[in-house]
Amino acid sequence: MKPFRRKGDQFVARLVDAEADIVNLLLDQLEQLLVADAADSGGDPVLARLLPSGHASDPQLAAEYRDLTEAGLRSGKADDLAMVRATVPREGGEVRLDAEQARAWLRTTNDLRLAMGTRLGITAETEPPDIDPSGEGADDENSQLAVYYWLTAVQGSLIDALAAGRGDRR
Amino acid sequence: MAGPLAPERVSETTTEEFALDRPWVTVVWDDPVNLMTYVTFVLQELFGYDEATATELMLQVHNEGKAIVSSGPRERMEHDTSRLHAYGLWATYQRDA
Repeated sequence: MKPFRRKGDQFVARLVDAEADIVNLLLDQLEQLLVADAADSGGDPVLARLLPSGHASDPQLAAEYRDLTEAGLRSGKADDLAMVRATVPREGGEVRLDAEQARAWLRTTNDLRLAMGTRLGITAETEPPDIDPSGEGADDENSQLAVYYWLTAVQGSLIDALAAGRGDRR
Repeated sequence: MAGPLAPERVSETTTEEFALDRPWVTVVWDDPVNLMTYVTFVLQELFGYDEATATELMLQVHNEGKAIVSSGPRERMEHDTSRLHAYGLWATYQRDA
């Protein structure tokens, strides 16, 4: 992976073949999660993190908030996901984003990290594993953790590129 | 709740009107996944805070576990919460304590 850099008004990175495959696979998984019926997936901590409660202690307010916002939140995430999918090079290669696509990437890579982080039980003390995310021989949890940290690097580079762009505007 | 309302006026409507006098707040909570740079970026993006203010709020979330990022009428706090949720931040709204 060549991390995101700002080039004029655009944000450019490069993914190798295996990385593009991983992103596409993760997008498929996230898409399935987002269309899942809330009633069927009740108690799934990942869905609870992606569609959080709006109120910490008042169940009535939390229910009102969910009625008001959940459909929009789900469709916004689905729109972001579709935008990201359209910009991932099938066999690896350059990713080139405008400002709107960059924000879709930010939100979607964050959702992917939230989903994986919740499944893996990430804490502030969790350390990256010492393996290549596309490498052979790692056990499943270490592979997942490696992918999580790879996504962190992708998202981190995009945040830095966007923040740098904002600084230039002022 | 102690208050200036006469007992016969304590209807649902009056309670609601009374509640309007107290602002609501949107709170962002710490979580182990969201990057510090991301939280700062989102606070700038959604609320128009300058970098110093957004960084200060992010550090408050990180160090104290939570920070109030906006305050105002309930409907606006619902809206702010949903905008934060769209970016994956862990946010809730509540009446100001």
